[in-house]
Amino acid sequence: MNKFLLSAAFAASLSTGAMAQDVSGKLVLYTSQPNADAQQTVDAFTAKYPDVEVEWFRDGTTKVMAKLRAEFEADAPQPDVLLIADMVTMEGLEAEGRLMAYPEADVSAYDPAIMDDEGHYFSTKLITTGIVYNTVADMVPTSYNDLLKPEAEGNVAMPSPLTSGAATIHMAALTAHPDLGWDLYEGLANQGANPQGGNGGVYKAVAGGEQLYGFVVDFLPIREKVNGAPVEFVFPEEGVSAVTEPAAVLSTAQNPDAAKAFIDFLISEEGQQLAADMGYLPAHPGVPAPEGFPARDEIKLIEFSPAKALADDQQNKERFIEIFGG
Amino acid sequence: MANLSLLKIDGRGEAITLAALCVVAVVLFGLPLGLLVNVGVGNGPNLLVEALRDGSVQRAAWNSLESASLSALAATLAGTCLALTIGLTDVRGKGVVVFLLLLPMMIPPQVTAIAWVQALGPSSAVLKTLGVAPPPGSPHPLYTPFGVMLLLTVQHTPLVCLVVLAALRTLPREMMEAARLSGAGVFRVLRRVILPLISGSLVAGFMLAFVSAMGNFGILAILGIPARYTTLPVLIWRRLSSFGPSVLTDVAVISIILGVVALVAITLQRWLQRRMRAAVVGPPQLPLRIALGPMRPLAEGLLALYIAATLFLPLAALVATALVTTYGLPLNAQTFTLSNFAEVLFRQASTVRAFVNSTLTAGVAALFLAALSIAIAYFMSRRDGTHRRIGESLSALADVSYAIPGLVISIAFILAFIRPLPVLNISLYNTLWIILLAYVTAYMSIALKPVAAAYGQLDPALDDAARVSGAGFGLRMRRVFTPLMAPAAASGAILVFLTAYNEVTVSALLWSTGNETIGTSIFNFEDGGYTTLAAAMSCVTVVATVVIMAALDRIGRRLPPGVVPWRI
Repeated sequence: MNKFLLSAAFAASLSTGAMAQDVSGKLVLYTSQPNADAQQTVDAFTAKYPDVEVEWFRDGTTKVMAKLRAEFEADAPQPDVLLIADMVTMEGLEAEGRLMAYPEADVSAYDPAIMDDEGHYFSTKLITTGIVYNTVADMVPTSYNDLLKPEAEGNVAMPSPLTSGAATIHMAALTAHPDLGWDLYEGLANQGANPQGGNGGVYKAVAGGEQLYGFVVDFLPIREKVNGAPVEFVFPEEGVSAVTEPAAVLSTAQNPDAAKAFIDFLISEEGQQLAADMGYLPAHPGVPAPEGFPARDEIKLIEFSPAKALADDQQNKERFIEIFGG
Repeated sequence: MANLSLLKIDGRGEAITLAALCVVAVVLFGLPLGLLVNVGVGNGPNLLVEALRDGSVQRAAWNSLESASLSALAATLAGTCLALTIGLTDVRGKGVVVFLLLLPMMIPPQVTAIAWVQALGPSSAVLKTLGVAPPPGSPHPLYTPFGVMLLLTVQHTPLVCLVVLAALRTLPREMMEAARLSGAGVFRVLRRVILPLISGSLVAGFMLAFVSAMGNFGILAILGIPARYTTLPVLIWRRLSSFGPSVLTDVAVISIILGVVALVAITLQRWLQRRMRAAVVGPPQLPLRIALGPMRPLAEGLLALYIAATLFLPLAALVATALVTTYGLPLNAQTFTLSNFAEVLFRQASTVRAFVNSTLTAGVAALFLAALSIAIAYFMSRRDGTHRRIGESLSALADVSYAIPGLVISIAFILAFIRPLPVLNISLYNTLWIILLAYVTAYMSIALKPVAAAYGQLDPALDDAARVSGAGFGLRMRRVFTPLMAPAAASGAILVFLTAYNEVTVSALLWSTGNETIGTSIFNFEDGGYTTLAAAMSCVTVVATVVIMAALDRIGRRLPPGVVPWRI
C-alpha cells in the first residue's frame, strides 16, 4: 500500500515520461471509432494498466468535434485523449494550440508522413477510401473515371465531405490528382451523384442495391464481404486516399500520464495487432494486414499533405457545394 | 375574516408556484438558450444579418416552412379523421387500433425513414414478392420533397390524433345528443357542434405537428439530403461538420432564425386559439358510439390499411434486417441468424444500460412535465394579465426550444451546465441528470399543448365558483383542475415518454459512459456500419415499449377514462 502511494506520488511529481506501472487515475477518451472497436481498445488498454479507469464518449468525428467545441466555448474541455478520423482536423486543433506535444513517443517504425513532426498527433491506422460496388452490377470499375461511364449514370453514391472526415480527405486527394481533379467531381455531379451523410450511408445504399457504385472506406465492405454481403471493394488504379485515425493528447488534459500511456499503447506493436484483429489496416508497417486486404506494399496511396488540405479546406468545401448544391 | 385569510393563503400558494415556475424557466430555458444567443449575436447582429442574406439559409428556411406547414396540414387532416372515427363511431377494437397507431412513434424517426427507404426500394422483400420492385439502382421515389413531406405526415399524424382524441373526451355528450335528438344528421353534428368545439385542439394539433416538423432531423437528413431538399436543422448539422472554430457561432445564428420562425408561428396560434375559445365544462367521459351501419366494415378496413402501411411495412423491413447475417442479403434459411439479438441483449453491457437509462429519464421527464403543465396551463388560462403573461411566455419558450433541433439543445446545455452548479457545487455534466433536464426543456411543448387546449375548453366560472366557496389555490388545483386535466396531462406525458424514449439528437452530445440512451446506442451502431445491430436494437425497443404500454394499460383500468390514451 505504502509502496503504491509512494509510486503514485512519484508519478505525480514527474509530469512527463511516466512508466507503465505508475499510471493510474481517470482517463477521458473522445473517439470516433465504432462502439465495439472503442470498447475493445479500452479493454485491452485497461488490461495492461489496471489502475486507469477509462471513460469514453463515442460519436462521428463531426459530433465529437461539436461537443468538444462547446466545451472549449465553456472553457472546460473534458477529454484527455482524442482518437478521431483524420489528420486535417488534428492540424486545425494543433494550429489553435489545443494539442500537447509528446515528442518522446516512439514513432521510429512509422512513415514520417503520417506523424506530426513535433509529436502533436499520432496516426494509428490506414483507413483507405476506394470504390465499392454491388455484385449485381455489370460494369466492374477499376478506375475512378469508370464511374463516369454511362453504365453508372444515376448509380453513384458518395459520402459528403461536409459530413465525413474521410470524404474530405478523399476529395482533397482526388481533386489534387493530375489525372482526376475537379473534372471528376463535376462529372459525378452530372451522373446524378448525391453526396449524402457518412460512409455508413453509402455502404448501405450500395449493399442494399439502391445504388450500384460508391466511394467508401475500405473496412466496411471488406469486413461485411466475409459475412456474405453482395459487395466488392476496389483499390482503383490511380490509388486510394487514406485517413489515419490519429490520436492526440489535449493540452488541457487532466491526466497527461495516462493519456501518454494510451498513445504509447496505440502505436505499440501490440496495439497495432489489435487494430489488425479488428479488421483495419494497421499504420505500423511491421504488422501484417488482416484478411481481405492486399499486402501493404500493393496498396497505392494518392499523395496527400494534411497541412495543405487544411489550408484549402474551406475553398474545397465551397467548390464542392457549388458543384453539388449545398 | 375567514374568507380574507383564505385569500391570503391562496395568494401565497399561487405566488410560490409562480416563483417556482420562474426558476424552472430561468434554469432550463433562459440560461441555456440565452448562452446560445450570446454565442450567436454576442458580438453584434452582423452575423445574423449576414446569415439572413445567405442564399442557402434562405432556401433552407423556405424549405423548412414549406415542408412543416404542408405536412402539418396533412397530419391534422389525417389525425383528425382517425380521431373522429375512433372517438365517435362504433368501429370495433378501438383500444387495439389506438395502441397500434401509437407504435410507429416508438421506432426512432431515422430508423423509420431507413425502413421506408428499404420497403419501397429495389431490395424490398415486400415489393419483390409482388413483382413490382424497382430494378437495382433506379431512382428512389422517396428521395423527393414529396417523400419528405409524406413521411413527416406519417410521423406526426399520431400526435394530432391523440390531441384530438383527448379533446373529444372532454366534449359534453349532452350537446351532441341534443343535436341528434333534434334531428341533425351525423355530418351536421360534426360540422355545427363537434368541429367548432374542438377547433382549439385542432389548432394545437396542427401547431404540434408544425413545430415537430420544423425540428425534425432524422427524416430530413435521410430523405431530404439525397433529395437536395435542405431544411434549417439539416443546415445546422452541416455547419457543425465544417469543423472551423466559428462553427458554434454559425449554428447559434441559424438556431436563432429557427427560434424566431417558431415564435411567429406560436403568436399566430395564440391569436387563433383565443378567437376559437369555446367555454364548456366537461369531465372526461366515454366516447360516443355513433352507429356506422353498413359503413362500418369500410371504416374498419381503412383503419387496418393505414396501420398496415405505417406500422407493419416499416416494422417488417426492420425485423428482416435484424435477422440477417449482414445487411444487403435477402432473408432466407441460409442468412437467418439470431446473433444480432444476442449481441444486443447479452454481449454488450452498454445496450442493456441504455434501456434502463432511457426508461428512467423518459419516464421521470414525462411525470415531471405532466405536473408542470397542469400548473403552467392554469396560469395561461387566467384572466389576470401578469399571471397569464408569465404562463404564456413559458409556453412560448417551450415551443421555441421544441423547434430548435435537439443537437442545438445539447450544445446549449453543455454551455450552461458543464461547470459545477454554483452554491451546490454539483456537476451535472456527464450524468443522467443533464439528459433528463434536456428532455424537460426539449419536450415541455408536447406536454403543454393538450393541457392548454383542455384548459381553453374550461369555463372560467368554474374557477370563480371554487374561489367564492373559499377553496384555496392548492385545493382548487388538487380537487378541481388536476382531475379535469388528468386525461390531457396523461396523454401529454405519454407522448413525452414515447418521444424521449427513442430520441437521439437531444442526448447525442450529452451521453457518457454509463449514461447511454437507446437512441444514441442505435445511432452509434448505425453510424459505425452495424446496421443489423441497430435494427435488432430497434426491434427490442419496440418490444420493450409494447411491454411498458401494456403495463400502463393494466394500471389504466383503475383510472378514469382517457388517462391512458389508447384505453377507450
